Amino acid sequence: MTSIETDLAAALNASPNAYFIVGPELKFVWANPAYLAVTQRTAAELIGTPVFEAFDAGPGLEGPESSRRLRASFEKVFATGARNDIPVLHYAIPLPGPDGTLAYEDRYWSVIHTPLLRDGVVEHVLQYAIDITELENLRRSATLEAAAPALHAIDAIVGGALLSGARSVQADNARLETERQGLMDLFMQAPGFVAVLTGPDHVFQIHNSAYAQLIGHRDISGKPIGEALPEVQGQGYFEFLDSVYATGEPYEGRASRVQLQRTPDAPLESRFLDFIYQPIRDARGAVAGIFVQGHDVTGTVRSAERQKLMIDELNHRVKNTLATVQSIAVQTARSHVDPATFAEGFQARLMALSHTHNLLTRSHWEGADLGAILEHETEAHGSHRVTLNGPPVALEPAAALSLGMIFHELATNAAKYGALSAPAGRVLVDWSVANQTRPVLTLTWREIGGPPVAPPERRGFGSRLIERNVRHDLAGAVKLDYASDGFNAEFSVPLDRERSS
Amino acid sequence: MTQTLKGRRVLVVEDESLVAMLLETILEDMGCTPVGPAGTIEEGLAMVADPASLDAALLDVNVAGRQVFPVADALTARGVPFVFSTGYGESGLPDAWRGHATVQKPFTENAIREALMKAMGVENV
Repeated sequence: MTSIETDLAAALNASPNAYFIVGPELKFVWANPAYLAVTQRTAAELIGTPVFEAFDAGPGLEGPESSRRLRASFEKVFATGARNDIPVLHYAIPLPGPDGTLAYEDRYWSVIHTPLLRDGVVEHVLQYAIDITELENLRRSATLEAAAPALHAIDAIVGGALLSGARSVQADNARLETERQGLMDLFMQAPGFVAVLTGPDHVFQIHNSAYAQLIGHRDISGKPIGEALPEVQGQGYFEFLDSVYATGEPYEGRASRVQLQRTPDAPLESRFLDFIYQPIRDARGAVAGIFVQGHDVTGTVRSAERQKLMIDELNHRVKNTLATVQSIAVQTARSHVDPATFAEGFQARLMALSHTHNLLTRSHWEGADLGAILEHETEAHGSHRVTLNGPPVALEPAAALSLGMIFHELATNAAKYGALSAPAGRVLVDWSVANQTRPVLTLTWREIGGPPVAPPERRGFGSRLIERNVRHDLAGAVKLDYASDGFNAEFSVPLDRERSS
Repeated sequence: MTQTLKGRRVLVVEDESLVAMLLETILEDMGCTPVGPAGTIEEGLAMVADPASLDAALLDVNVAGRQVFPVADALTARGVPFVFSTGYGESGLPDAWRGHATVQKPFTENAIREALMKAMGVENV
């Protein structure tokens, strides 16, 4: 020990005030003579004994609760390393009576717990306890005679009735404090947000952690709501609060939108709340404050919005698809006089559309792979006759649907008039993606080994569909070349999601 | 049946070529001359700004992911009557345009003819 430490130890020992020190498991490690005198114990009895074994706060209603408060205070100091005070602790201690038997004697203490650190860790806790029994008894008898002053809103709701009832019985503030604390704990831990506002300016008296989370953990305690949440001004909520305070009628909001500053300097954030403003009345029945309680239902509201959007989008897509099918039917009918060949051609186009839908459904309409679409549209003609050669290319749904129709028309045409109409004919499809910053798909469809080719006398639906689809829907370019040694087509299609105009 | 629509130049704004081809076929069957089609808002605006005469227009409400209303405004400014075409139904129109002549996808030739005549303020005689 250094000389200063020796002096301090001597000072504590000589002090007329009661001190003791506890270590781990709350065992006494040291107590000064004043403490031993007031408790009428010896150092030998106490050192090494857990505090709550030596003193259990006595029988009676408040005994266990007083023990709990004392233990909680010790534990808080060990856990946080910060000093903790209990201004008034009702803690009976056993004292030997005139006949030598132990009897509990009511005592009130004011207790200060100070952490003693070693290397930054709380190793011991020093208790400084002042016996305030005389003072407290005096204070209590004085308070009980006087009429209770106007209570704060929170007292009116959680303690008011209990307090006034207790006045006629016994001085029992500790129990009331316990019950009040229990209710407060319920508030604080409630999953919904809870706040209590006092007075006509709606001053935040308490708010729980869900409320703190809702408003972005701002320091609002003791502030009027207009000052605590300035961004809510003009959104109608302050007016509702004023009305509840003035009329005493509760107000309920459902999926009500509020804009909140949840992060400093960030844009306001929209939240949707189910909530109720409930007036709190004092003992005389006048509105003393407002109890705010509710739930953040933003997730539910957003998913309902998404669902409505999806239904609208689905309806739009279905109607658009029906118009597409209508167009295929009308155009196909124009080029087929015979109902039987019309049905065949119409169905084949419908199936091509349906195949691409299947591919897109598999990817939840996120897109489809170019190679997979080509395989689908050409496999009916034999995989050994159609050679597909190119890297994987992810196509967005609209492009996938367009290219599905286009490859169907090319394959049908090849089977009817081109290379696939002859036994030895073949189709070579090669593609690549150039310019990775603004990717452009280049694809060639080359027919070899077929019959001699002549340009068609009139442009049929197939070639019109191909040309218009590429230019209009894909914002790309296509060249159809009816070369005599075999038809070929060259496509150039931008793959950006944004259409160029 | 009337010949009122014969020879009319009708702008088509529609991003899906198959649907545009259907509208053109229907318009041609009615004796109209289709103009376009425009597949984007920008193309539509350019065609409205073109000095060539326009008698009417058919506007798909949702064009390449955007709403066609700037084109509708430009047509209104030029005094050209127009008809919306939509898969959303009339609820897909904002309040400002509710009640305007509209055809629903899929179309019939009759529906398009009647909507065009309503927009152009001509009577079927």
